[in-house]
This record gives sequence, structure tokens and C-alpha cells, in this order.
Amino acid sequence: MFARITPGEHTQQPMHNSLIKLDNVGIGYAGREVLSGISVSIDRSSFTAVLGANGSGKTTLLKTILGLLPPITGRIEAASSGVTPIFGYVPQTSRFDPVYLLTGFEVALMGSFGRVRPGRFVPQAERTFTRECLQATGAEEFYHRRFSELSGGQKQRVLIARALTTRPDILLLDEPTAGVDHAATLAIMEFISQLHKERKMTVLLITHDFAAAHRHAEQVIWLHAGKVYQGPAQKLLTAEHLKKMLEGEMN
Amino acid sequence: METLLQILSPTFLLRNSVYASVLIGFACPLVGVFLIIRRLVFMGVALPQISSTGVAFALSLPLWFGFHLTDHGSQTAHTLAFAGSIVFSLAAILSLAFMERRGRGQPEGRLGTAYVVAAAAGILLLAKNPYGEVGWLDMLKGEVITISNFDLVLTIAMLAFVLVVLLLFQKELILVSFDREMALILRKNVIFWDVMLYILIGLTVSVSVLSVGPLITFGFLLIPALIAHRFAQTMIQFTLFASLIGGVSAFIGFWIAYQYDLPVGPTDVVFLGITYAMAWIAGLSSKVLL
Repeated sequence: MFARITPGEHTQQPMHNSLIKLDNVGIGYAGREVLSGISVSIDRSSFTAVLGANGSGKTTLLKTILGLLPPITGRIEAASSGVTPIFGYVPQTSRFDPVYLLTGFEVALMGSFGRVRPGRFVPQAERTFTRECLQATGAEEFYHRRFSELSGGQKQRVLIARALTTRPDILLLDEPTAGVDHAATLAIMEFISQLHKERKMTVLLITHDFAAAHRHAEQVIWLHAGKVYQGPAQKLLTAEHLKKMLEGEMN
Repeated sequence: METLLQILSPTFLLRNSVYASVLIGFACPLVGVFLIIRRLVFMGVALPQISSTGVAFALSLPLWFGFHLTDHGSQTAHTLAFAGSIVFSLAAILSLAFMERRGRGQPEGRLGTAYVVAAAAGILLLAKNPYGEVGWLDMLKGEVITISNFDLVLTIAMLAFVLVVLLLFQKELILVSFDREMALILRKNVIFWDVMLYILIGLTVSVSVLSVGPLITFGFLLIPALIAHRFAQTMIQFTLFASLIGGVSAFIGFWIAYQYDLPVGPTDVVFLGITYAMAWIAGLSSKVLL
């Protein structure tokens, strides 16, 4: 069984382990709702995949959680501590303009800027930590290389290092394997999964890849036909449930 | 060589012009780099023209109200010209950047229209002003001869301000330019940093236009940065190379102009254009050889 959350409905979720909770939230642009009545929670140390077709509202949901877009209705609650979590955001690589002559290190270092006041130079300790993050993501060899000249998979590693440099409570990845070849896709997904397991890192992954979500994610939020479904990946992504949902749509 | 020694002499009659054009050569590319990375090249073309129209507008105001500026180079005229230049520059850059951010319409169309309307308005203002031909036409042509001490001090102050602000806040300005979303997530006030950058650009353009005119200003805003981008490996190199190319080209341009009795502005810009073409060919041939 999976929890089905339809617009306007609520699910009672325990708050004690929840890092972020969306309570009856409507999301969209310029006051126009793309999705409404979203009530989902992201648990601490969980690996959640957000699935859905193009235009289903995945990126809008991510941007709303990140605070880049205000929710149109409802509210987003932070963890039980009430402090907004620190987000380690990994955007799609295609949005970066190659005109910037930034090295892999300089891009990764940006993650530390939230802790360095304006007008101050980045301290050596932050630089060392950034180098460690690059090492952790296997991107140390891109330290001096120009970011725009890296391949899609290499850029992803640098961007994940940048997200880690923020010392995040939660890692949010927007289709990290988009435009990446199969071998690199497997490597990136394995790496994210390893990060989650070894560091108990909370992960929210936006993806089209059902197989990867099934293999790595513990929870799934599925945006489908204007509705939001949340449940354990092993239950939500079974052939039987998928068939039931698709048939339901056709009926 | 004799000409060079003459130019370098502290008693050289046109020393203020040399200093001002070299300082502007160093300063303009520092902000021009941001126009290139933010893909606002057309703004670099339109802005100096709008700024010079601001000068023309401000200097026409007293005439419209029945006052006469007896001395074109007076302190009042300078203050008015500076005010007109900075007000027009900032109003233009802030409104054009705001429309750019909204992402509606055609940015090239807006900038093209702003450029041509500003140029035409400048000509109309000059046509109806008896002082127009005294100094403004020279300024619009880029004839860098009459640089007053006031202009020079203003240029030095502007270069110092731009350098200090860029040095102190480079990481914030690069972050909001490169990845606005990341800056927002890191709780940076992106509007503040955008406005700070636009003020920096507007100020540089205004002071440059006031000292050396729009032609040199847009030449030095863009061409050194475009040349530097072909060879630089990092953003720091990009900024330093652009500034150095600008400063050195300004000096060489002045030298050539003085040697062959040419107007300084067009000489500087043509020299920069030739340098850009050579850089492009050098870059192309190195790729072929590799």
C-alpha cells in the first residue's frame, strides 16, 4: 500500500523525525498554481526521490522547498527545531554559462560563501574544507580545470562538492543525471547513495529515472496527473501499483 | 621615440589627457568584464550614449530656464554635466536590467532603441544649444584634449572606488552573476548586489563619458574584456588582463594619435579593434596548430 495524497487531503505524519514538512501547499508561478494541496514530509536522513513527467511540477516543488519560489497556499515547516535547514542544492549543469572562467575549485568554493561575510576573503580553513569536499566527490582532479570544459558527469561531481561545502542538512539534486551518459549516470547515482548511507545525509532527488529511484530511494514523491503520491519506494514503484495508477488515469 | 619622451614628460601640455585616458583605459574594462559575463554587451554600447545625452540634457537645462553658462568649463557646468551623466546612466542601467531580468520582449530591440533615441536626442539638444559646438561635439567625437584637473581627480577617485569595491566584493558579485539561485539559497541579498554592480557600471560610464566621451568609453568597456577573454584562464586573469590591455592600449593610442595628429578617441578605438582582430587570428591559428 502507498499513501495517496490528493489535492486538499492531509496525511498525519509524525513531525519528530521530519526535516521539512509541506502542509497543504499550493505551488506555481506568478500566482498560478501548478499543483495544489501538497502535504508531504521529508524525513531526516531519508533518501527521497521526486518522480514525474516533464511539466508535472517537480522543479517547481524543489524551488518552493528551497525558498526560491513562495508557496501560493499552505505553509512549509522546518524541522522540529524550527530552524530553516541548510540546503545543499545541486542544479542542472546545463544552466551554467560557459563564458565564466571559473575553475572547479572556484565553483565548489561558492558553497562556503554563506559563512563568509561580504568584504571578507575566504579563510584558509574554508578552502581546505572545499578541497576535502572535492576529494570526497572524486572531483579533485578538476580543481584547476575550467568548469565549463568539464563533461556533464564531471560538472555534477563539482556541483555536489559545492553542495557539500555548504555543510548541508539536506542535499537537493535537480535531475543530476540529465544529459549524462549511462556509465556516468550509474556512477553518480551510486555516489549519491553512498553519501546518504555513509554520512546519513538527507537526500531529495528529482529524477525521471524510475529504475534509479527504485534502486536507491527509500521514499518516493510521485507527481502524476496533478496529484501527489508519497510512499516507500519499494511499495510505490511496484509493477502492480504503477499499473493500477496508470489504469486509473485511463479510466 | 621623441614623441614618447614628450608624452612621458611631467611638463607635457596634454598630460591630463594622457593620465585620464590611461586611467579610463584601466577602469572601464574592470566593469566591462561584468557586461561580458552577464551577456549585456549591447548595454555596454547603449549606456555611454545615454550617459552623454544626460550630459547634453543637463547642460541644456539652464538655457531652458533662461540662465546662461558663460564658461563651458566652469565648476557649475561640470557639476551639472556629472549629475546629468550619472542620473541618465543609472536610470538607464537599472530600468534596462530590470526589464532584462523579467525576460520579456526583445532585449536587443530595447537596447538598440535606447541607443538610437539617445544618440538622436543628443544631436537635437546640441543643435539648439549655442555652446554645443564649443566643447560637446569634441567630447562626442572622443577628442581628448581639454581634460581639466577636476575631470582628472574625478577619474582617479572613480578608478579607486571601482577597484576597492571590486576587490572587496568580488566573490558576491561573481556569485550573483554566475548562479543567482545559489546566491538566494545562501541568503545573499541578490537585489542589493545587482544594484551595487549597476551603480559601479553606471558610475564608471558616467565619469568616463564626462572625461573622454562615449566613443572611447564603449570602446574600453567592451573590447579589452573581449580580447582578454580569449587568453585568460581564470576570472582574476580575465579582469587583470582586460584592465591591462585597456590601460596599455589607451597609452599607445594616445601616442599614435599625437604622433600623427589624429583625434585620440577614434585612434584608441581603432587600435583596440586591430588588437582584437589580431587576438582573434592568434587564437584561431593556435587552435589550427594544436
